[in-house]
Amino acid sequence: MTIRSFDLLRPRSLQEAVELLQKHGEDARVVAGGTTLVILMKQRALYYPYLVDLQSILGLGEIQNENDGIRIGALTTHRSVETSPDVQRAFPSLAQAFSCIGNVRVRQTATVGGNLAHADYRLDPPPPLLVLGAEVTAFGPKGTRTIALKDFFRGMYETALEPGELLVDVKIPFPPANSRAVYLRYTALSANDWPCLGVAAYLERQNGRCQDLRLALGGVASTPLWIDGLAFAEDQTLDHALIDKLLDSVDRQISPTGDLRGSEWYKRRMARVFVKKALEELL
Amino acid sequence: MKREITLRVNGRDETLIIDDADTLLEVLRDRLNLWSVRESCGVGACGSCTVLIDGRPASSCFLLAARFDGRVVTTLEGLSDGRRLHFVQEAFVEERALQCAYCTPGFVLSTKALLDENPRPSDEEIREYLAGNLCRCAGYADILRAVRAAQEKRASLMGR
Repeated sequence: MTIRSFDLLRPRSLQEAVELLQKHGEDARVVAGGTTLVILMKQRALYYPYLVDLQSILGLGEIQNENDGIRIGALTTHRSVETSPDVQRAFPSLAQAFSCIGNVRVRQTATVGGNLAHADYRLDPPPPLLVLGAEVTAFGPKGTRTIALKDFFRGMYETALEPGELLVDVKIPFPPANSRAVYLRYTALSANDWPCLGVAAYLERQNGRCQDLRLALGGVASTPLWIDGLAFAEDQTLDHALIDKLLDSVDRQISPTGDLRGSEWYKRRMARVFVKKALEELL
Repeated sequence: MKREITLRVNGRDETLIIDDADTLLEVLRDRLNLWSVRESCGVGACGSCTVLIDGRPASSCFLLAARFDGRVVTTLEGLSDGRRLHFVQEAFVEERALQCAYCTPGFVLSTKALLDENPRPSDEEIREYLAGNLCRCAGYADILRAVRAAQEKRASLMGR
């Protein structure tokens, strides 16, 4: 046995899962797909005496079409998002972002909820979900609440979830017809690797001018990063002068730390290159 | 914690007492002696531990066996009927798509899953689907030919 012995707890309802988390406190951790958690426990980088298994709760892995958007259950696999005709139709940039992760086996196992709750700074789904205005539903000891994804990532591997609280689903509103979104990922090592950085851009246009322009980046700060203060782009034409201003804005807000996929200097340079590319795709 | 699970492995029900911390790979190799399931990278990146769960490829090295009670698991050993090789295996032999063969079970199972999902994949789709299986002898050109040959065999078996 490679993994140190632990107890797998298999609740049948969200309520039961929350009670188990409250009972075991810091000795327990939620497991969704388990791609990251089980590997870290195998490597003995992490250990929990109790894992609370969300797979034993039915109905958490569905993609539902609602009037104003699509709701993706926390246990929906990356592969299901990637291949969902509803997602492909409404959010092509999102389907594409999910299709680039790891390999087909990883995508068959890893889940949307696990990905977001893990809050790794360089994962692919957060930037496209951020620019699409996604929000997550959390369920905990105090009941259900909604958290805008923008307010969800709090620090390196830290989220707004309180102790005992679970991520239940993520809701993505349908964008207006005059909008477009793109996601670009740049891998410095192999194509299947975690990205050096990822850039999501979203633009709503009215009479050829920017109405709502949004940017979010992965891999260039301690959390997936929403770029603030882009209201100056409103009513402007998206031309190269405006793109330069946007690049400066991005450059001021990112705080990359060098990792295996690029030094701080390199990530700053590549952030400019890929934000520019993303904006040019929206031209 | 110890628990009893039943896995349907290669067409047979296997009821076992396992530990919650056992990976599926450990159960398949160490308890059921299915040695085609091989651990290499240990993090789901290389594909040598590939098995099919309910027909879909999975990395058994990082899955907890306790979570798969009642599921259908296929390893390479379960593909052939004992008399004749499975058509994907035949294609790999005929195209000489193996050298040291350490990665071969994973490639064969991934190819089967690919063709079941997508009977007429484009070159791009084959490369994409098999990108998570690594061959360190770098027999990729032969492997791609074997996938095409397997596709042909599958089509004639299914009467096109």
